[in-house]
Amino acid sequence: MDAQRWNRIQELFHEALALPESSRAAFLETACGADTGLREDVLAMLAEDGRPSVLARDAVEVAGELLPDAPPIATIGPYRLLSAIGRGGMGVVYLAERDDLGSRAAIKVLPNAWISAVRRERFALEQRALSRLVHPSIARLYDAGILEDGTPWFAMEWVDGEPVTAYCARRQPTVKSRLGLFRSICEAVQYAHQQAILHRDLKPSNIFVKADGSVRLLDFGIAKRLDLDDDTPDLTRTGVAVMTPAYAAPELIRGEPATVQADVYSLGVILYELLAQAPFVASTRRTADAAALMEPREARPPSGSPTRIEGPGRAAWADLDVLCLTAMHEDLGRRYRSVEALSRDVDRFLRDEPLEARPDEFRYKLRKFTARNRAPLLAAAAVAAALTALIAFFTFRLAVARDAAVAEAARAQRIQQFMLHLFEGGDKEAGPADKLEVLTLVDRSARDARLLAADPAAQADLFQTLGEIYHSLGKYPQASEMLDAALEKRRGLPNKAPALVAESVQAVGLLRLDQGKLDEAESLVRQALALAGSTLPKGHPGIDAATAALGRVLTDRGQYKQAIEVLEEAARLQAARAAPEQDTATVLIRLADAHFYEGDYDRAEALSTQVYDMYRRMYGEDHPRVADPVINLGTIASQRGQYALSEKWFRKAAEINRDYYGPDHPETASSLRGLGQALASQKRFDEAEPVLRQVLAVRERVYGPVHSGVANAVNSLAHVAQGKGDLVLAEQLFQRAADIYRKANGDEHHFVGVALANLAGVYLDKKDYARAERTLRGVVVRFQRVLPEDHFDLAVARVKLGRALLGLGRREEAARESSLALAALAKTAPESSWVRSAREDLVAARR
Amino acid sequence: MFAAAYEELRRMATSVKRSDPASTLTPTTLVHAAWVKLVASHTFAANSELHFKRVAARAMRQLLVEAARRRKAEKRGGPQAALVTFDEALDAPIEHEEEVIALHDALNELERLNPRQALMVEVRFFGGLPVAEAARLLGISEETVHRDWRAAKAWLAHEVRRAR
Repeated sequence: MDAQRWNRIQELFHEALALPESSRAAFLETACGADTGLREDVLAMLAEDGRPSVLARDAVEVAGELLPDAPPIATIGPYRLLSAIGRGGMGVVYLAERDDLGSRAAIKVLPNAWISAVRRERFALEQRALSRLVHPSIARLYDAGILEDGTPWFAMEWVDGEPVTAYCARRQPTVKSRLGLFRSICEAVQYAHQQAILHRDLKPSNIFVKADGSVRLLDFGIAKRLDLDDDTPDLTRTGVAVMTPAYAAPELIRGEPATVQADVYSLGVILYELLAQAPFVASTRRTADAAALMEPREARPPSGSPTRIEGPGRAAWADLDVLCLTAMHEDLGRRYRSVEALSRDVDRFLRDEPLEARPDEFRYKLRKFTARNRAPLLAAAAVAAALTALIAFFTFRLAVARDAAVAEAARAQRIQQFMLHLFEGGDKEAGPADKLEVLTLVDRSARDARLLAADPAAQADLFQTLGEIYHSLGKYPQASEMLDAALEKRRGLPNKAPALVAESVQAVGLLRLDQGKLDEAESLVRQALALAGSTLPKGHPGIDAATAALGRVLTDRGQYKQAIEVLEEAARLQAARAAPEQDTATVLIRLADAHFYEGDYDRAEALSTQVYDMYRRMYGEDHPRVADPVINLGTIASQRGQYALSEKWFRKAAEINRDYYGPDHPETASSLRGLGQALASQKRFDEAEPVLRQVLAVRERVYGPVHSGVANAVNSLAHVAQGKGDLVLAEQLFQRAADIYRKANGDEHHFVGVALANLAGVYLDKKDYARAERTLRGVVVRFQRVLPEDHFDLAVARVKLGRALLGLGRREEAARESSLALAALAKTAPESSWVRSAREDLVAARR
Repeated sequence: MFAAAYEELRRMATSVKRSDPASTLTPTTLVHAAWVKLVASHTFAANSELHFKRVAARAMRQLLVEAARRRKAEKRGGPQAALVTFDEALDAPIEHEEEVIALHDALNELERLNPRQALMVEVRFFGGLPVAEAARLLGISEETVHRDWRAAKAWLAHEVRRAR
């Protein structure tokens, strides 16, 4: 063949292709005439056209088949691989053993990780999801890493058991035991939801039961973080591609975004299978067959299965059918709104109570609820709807709020609680304060709430909620307006509930605290505590909450001894009622604060470490709550003179807070202040100054000019100026800090003395010993009134006083102050640089 | 450049596994990944990406043909030792070595008949170049790429089938 002939062949090929198939043979007959070879060549090509051939495949795929396999992996980290036990959509799972400990683990590996960033990200996502999930019914993460060739892996709990369906088939447990198992599964899924993680691939093969009957949830391979904006179309698409259609909610198969209700659906299918002893949909391998699954599925009750379990009577089957069908309802509006709602109905069944989901009652309740609570619902929905679009983090919480609102029905209190949860995780940790959109929405809700005069109780609830939201957003005037109004309304209610009044009084008190009105704060919080103590039943959380609030106020007032007593009482009350860990942690961290200010760093450190571990276990490493104990630890390290360690802690805190709140939030500012100080203490003034200026700017904007937080920042900047040798500026700034402390905290407050002692340090630098002595004598007297004798700050004041006296040539007096300081420092901060100063001075004084 | 591209592609393709449903790997991504890697190593910063892709396609072709030949030789030499690898759960691979070698020969023949068309097949199939890029590289219209591709594909497929 030559080029000319090849051209001719191609011409004929294209011409023939343009004709209907039936007339091609005739066309070629005519066109080729006697050249039968030509005709056959074209006919052969026409036959190939559209037929699969190697050219239709992917060259890389072909290469993958032809090239030798990657070398086998025998060990990963401390683990020796025993055998491959599974291959999921996302990687290969091996059974592995630790040689040193002999313990077993399942190791998941992502081969060929380099191929796509999407796969790497999804793998990392699963790892992060697992690291956040610490629950007895969820296989836990042990370790993770990356092999030399870039292959990521993580080790998790190896579950020696069998899929829940196999377990039931073998053991034939009663219906109650089956539902008990199912209940444990729900609990684990619900826990994941609370951590803002959807599983998205729930199916029996991912749910193992161990020989002891305990349940483990496996494989978060296509889990989704709801609080991250990671929902790129790519991830969703791949998520859909690898899920298991037989257990996936119809809306997921249609490609709609996953919600908590998608997991509810999968749980429904699993429940069906546990009761019917047959799969709801005959298993299909992959999404190739998903088209068939997209057809609306016929609602089939498990009672209709010929293989259904024995035991339940007719009435029980009726309820079980409702449970399944409600969980598996195609219509999201009719499906259980949350796993919690499903669990509750399972509990009701187990207790032989009527189900919430009985259809008639359900609609009836819903109708009644909306009729009675239209206005608050609208207000909630106004906040809800727009937030959904705005902040990914809030969407999940909102779904829960709406779920709970409908399911719990008729309890405005619940809505309120969940509304608050939009912005916080149980206390003052607000969402990003600078989200103006959020503020706008809250403002709008506040307007709506004011129109709700016909129902004063609901209005008061709403005022209370909105007030607390404003408070968490740092909008104190609006918060005050709302909380004052809520208190007034609640006091005026005909059947006033003392718990609610106490709650309102306490909320106003804590707001006053943040507004710097300490007297009023203390009086209100004491009032709240008295009210709660006299009206609430013993063991009511309201009592320990009010006690803890008082402890907080006393700490801020500088009455540390009393604060410690009160907070320890709060901890006792909580222990007595077996309070949730979150509440305990909150009190412990306040206790750590009080001990810290009291000067007991060991105790403060132990408590902070305890809370740090609790928070990491509860929330994972990156949660803003974790930053609180981290800041404490940084401060303690700093007080002990361990500045490099302090810097490390504050950097960690700043990172967590910046990622969560953004750079211009007071929380971020707090951790940056610590960082700035740690840098300044290491004499890295040029790094410290911009950090501290930012802190001051944020705080002045948020708190106004008279606030102890502002004074803190001014004080730190003064240190930097002093370190740089700008004594004029330093003097000015320390003076300003002292003035602000005096106005914000009262003249007696220990912080006033700290600022004055710092000011005296500038006088020392200027060799103005007389003035330094005068100031420091005043400071020592101040401290002796409010601090224990061996307090760090008092010791530092004595070191400085010693130095001033030395400068004045009064050696004996100097030696006395220096040795007193040394004795105290040996107890509280033996590593501090002040120890050396005091020693030098002592030597000089005795020379 | 060819040698480097070849090595990089080889290293990458060695670990490619065909049956991972979640894999997003195509010649396009592979060649692109190789490009990114090579650019990162500063070897080729001066060369255009398109030019690189042309070279990479050639390297890919060579890689495949060599692998196919080696595999064929190994088969004559008896079964390989069984290794526990990531792949152990997979079905036995489809045997493509004959096809690849036949395709390589047929493509050589096409090169003689129409070098531009052969190059187009090379960059499209082995290099994973999209139609638009192939058109740009060869200085022809997309329409022509489609047309030449369809004819070449039919002819090559026939040649491959005949060779087996």
